[in-house]
Amino acid sequence: MTGRSNSPRNVGGPDEPIVYVVDDDVSVREALRNLFRSVGLRVEVFGSGAEFLQSKLPDVASCLILDIRLPRLSGLDFQADLAKAGIHIPIVFMTGHGDIPMTVRAMKAGAVDFLTKPFRDQDMLDAVTAAIERDRNSRNEAKIRSDLHALFATLTAREREVMALVTTGLMNKQIAAEIGIAEITVKIHRGNIMRKMAAKSLAELVKMAQALEIQRPAPPQ
Amino acid sequence: MRNQILKSRRSAEQSLLGGMALASLTAACIWLVLGPAPEVADYLIAVVLLFALFLASLIVMHLVGSTRRQMEAALESRASAEQRAIEALRESEAQWKEVFEHNPVMYFMVDAEGIVLSVNTFGAAQLGYLVSELRGQPVLGVFFEADRDAVRKSVEICLAHIGQTHSWEIRKVRKDGSALWVRENAKAVRRQDDRLIVLIACEDITERKEAENALRQSGNYLAEAQRLSHTGSFGWRVATGEIIWSDETFRIFGFEKAPSVALDMVIQRIHPDDRAGAQQTIDRASRDGRDFDHEYRLLMPGGSVKYVHAAAHAVTDASGGIEFVGAATDVTARRRAEEKLHEAQAELAHVTRVTALGELAASIAHEVNQPLAAVVANASAALRWLDRDTPELQEARSALGSIVDDGNRAGEVIQRVRGLVSKTADQKAPLDINAVVNEVVTLLHRELFSHRIVLRKELAPALGQVLGDRIQLQQVILNLVINAIEAMQPVTDRPRKLAIRTHQEDADQILVTVTDSGVGLAVQNADRLFAPFFTTKSDGMGMGLSICRSIVESHGGRLSASINVGPGATFQFSLPMHQEDHTP
Repeated sequence: MTGRSNSPRNVGGPDEPIVYVVDDDVSVREALRNLFRSVGLRVEVFGSGAEFLQSKLPDVASCLILDIRLPRLSGLDFQADLAKAGIHIPIVFMTGHGDIPMTVRAMKAGAVDFLTKPFRDQDMLDAVTAAIERDRNSRNEAKIRSDLHALFATLTAREREVMALVTTGLMNKQIAAEIGIAEITVKIHRGNIMRKMAAKSLAELVKMAQALEIQRPAPPQ
Repeated sequence: MRNQILKSRRSAEQSLLGGMALASLTAACIWLVLGPAPEVADYLIAVVLLFALFLASLIVMHLVGSTRRQMEAALESRASAEQRAIEALRESEAQWKEVFEHNPVMYFMVDAEGIVLSVNTFGAAQLGYLVSELRGQPVLGVFFEADRDAVRKSVEICLAHIGQTHSWEIRKVRKDGSALWVRENAKAVRRQDDRLIVLIACEDITERKEAENALRQSGNYLAEAQRLSHTGSFGWRVATGEIIWSDETFRIFGFEKAPSVALDMVIQRIHPDDRAGAQQTIDRASRDGRDFDHEYRLLMPGGSVKYVHAAAHAVTDASGGIEFVGAATDVTARRRAEEKLHEAQAELAHVTRVTALGELAASIAHEVNQPLAAVVANASAALRWLDRDTPELQEARSALGSIVDDGNRAGEVIQRVRGLVSKTADQKAPLDINAVVNEVVTLLHRELFSHRIVLRKELAPALGQVLGDRIQLQQVILNLVINAIEAMQPVTDRPRKLAIRTHQEDADQILVTVTDSGVGLAVQNADRLFAPFFTTKSDGMGMGLSICRSIVESHGGRLSASINVGPGATFQFSLPMHQEDHTP
């Protein structure tokens, strides 16, 4: 059809990404369900934003296909509500003609893409693939970040202090002078930090500190 | 007689003288015979003879005298009788003269040349003349110049047919110039002296003539009025089937004027499509004897069609028979004008409908896009199901089924829009008003959405049907909803709510209301709301509500507006329910 083959996968596997569809028009959402199923994507459809919020969302890569014009709560308002609720799911909007101002707002609010009805199937599938990829990435990043926080939590208070100073580029001697301990003690702390944080190099530790947004403590007066 | 009397007297005297002479002669003879001294006997005989003769003369004389007296008496009485007769004759003559002179009939005696030989006083006086002024004058002088030829001809006819009476009516002119109408009876006769004269008796008929003229004029006025108003009158005696038409009725029906009209003839002239209805009206009228009023078309011989409105009043005559007196009006021109007006209104309604649809273009596109999007998605899905290594036929079939449904749905939207855009003639059919409401609402979803309006539909279930034109009623609802949307545009401090309700008002009425929470109506505009070209919108044409009202009224309903107790306004229209057994 488009030359791009979507090999059938085992639909419904626990780690399979899920496509959520929210549209008040039953024939549109059922057609989308059919389309996604035909390419082996897991899909769940809802008639309204409220229905979507009530459902349990498994922790897998997913995206949301949202009609920008929903009765009562519009797609845009729903997007804002999701953000407020801390649900960060990539959204692909479906719009009609003449919805440019709304589209702009949607994109500014972080929508992945928007498609004008009636849309080409491949455009929809591409948008969904991209959105799921993005979600997968952000989920990975979030995972890395939370792992890092877990490692960081194992450090002692002194080790955290030393790590902050190390990652700002101070020499051991300078750190020792700064916090008033022996240089050898700094070295020991530094070794412990490298081990606990599983950092292979100073550069890696610096990245971690950046990711953790560790600030250099204010120098004592 | 008198001679006879004289003769008898003369003969009496003659016989007396003769007797005396005879007596004297006899005495002389005696004297001669007897001599101077006759014997006594002889003498005595002579004396006796003489005496006898004398006596005889006396008797004769007496007889003659009495006869004469008798005769004189007879003569005398005869003379007095004669005298009486003469007097009576004279009296009678005077009387007749009186009659002749003063009988209220004008008598003229005219000679063959038309000179008045005699005229009675009444006749002269009627014309303002003295008898002497007319006598010897040409009789034409008492006629109008213009009528004189006619008079001459009439007199000629009389002269040509002596002894026959002819009569005619004509005007005469008085001495003072004024006119009077007379009826003249005339006859020519030949006098003893062989002269031809014409005797004329005329009677004044001015009053009758004036009445006749007034009647004729009134008749003329009526005929003229009928002609001008294209209204003919008719009379119809049910029992005898006798039909009488006025000239205008003949003209309307396109028949030659005739003394009577046959009902069949009338029925045949009625348009075939209207014939049954007309026949029904006629049957009902003749059966019930009640006034009727109906309209039908005539199919004229040339193929043209006339519209006739007939109304008749039933009257009962002395014998108890029913007679209808009525008027038939040719309303073709009015109908044509109405048709033209109707066409213009339909045109206007069409324009406003298209304008309204133009405003809804985005909403309509959305309504088409929805099923179209579904179709495309389902079609892609179907292809993919089929493209699999093991084609999933069941899935593909299901997708194709959905495509059919969605295709139909898109088609319906297009059809609805096309219906509203098309110029359809009045097509009234029984329909469900709830369905009409729903059809309109499907075109308005997006419009309501983009104006953040919450729609509530309260459609009474199992409503009866109304007889209506679907497109026109859709237009009314569409217009009312668009107005409501626009009325709520400025509202920012309260919810924008629109409610469309249908319910049964009473046994034969269905009510549709459209309620908004918009800016409401200004009281001072209430009267003008439905007037053409009245608008409160900057870009409005002001035709919407005016057209809505005429549509609703053409359905036998009523459209009205009211201010809500809360914010906003309510527009509502009623429609009569469709009666199944409705007889036209």
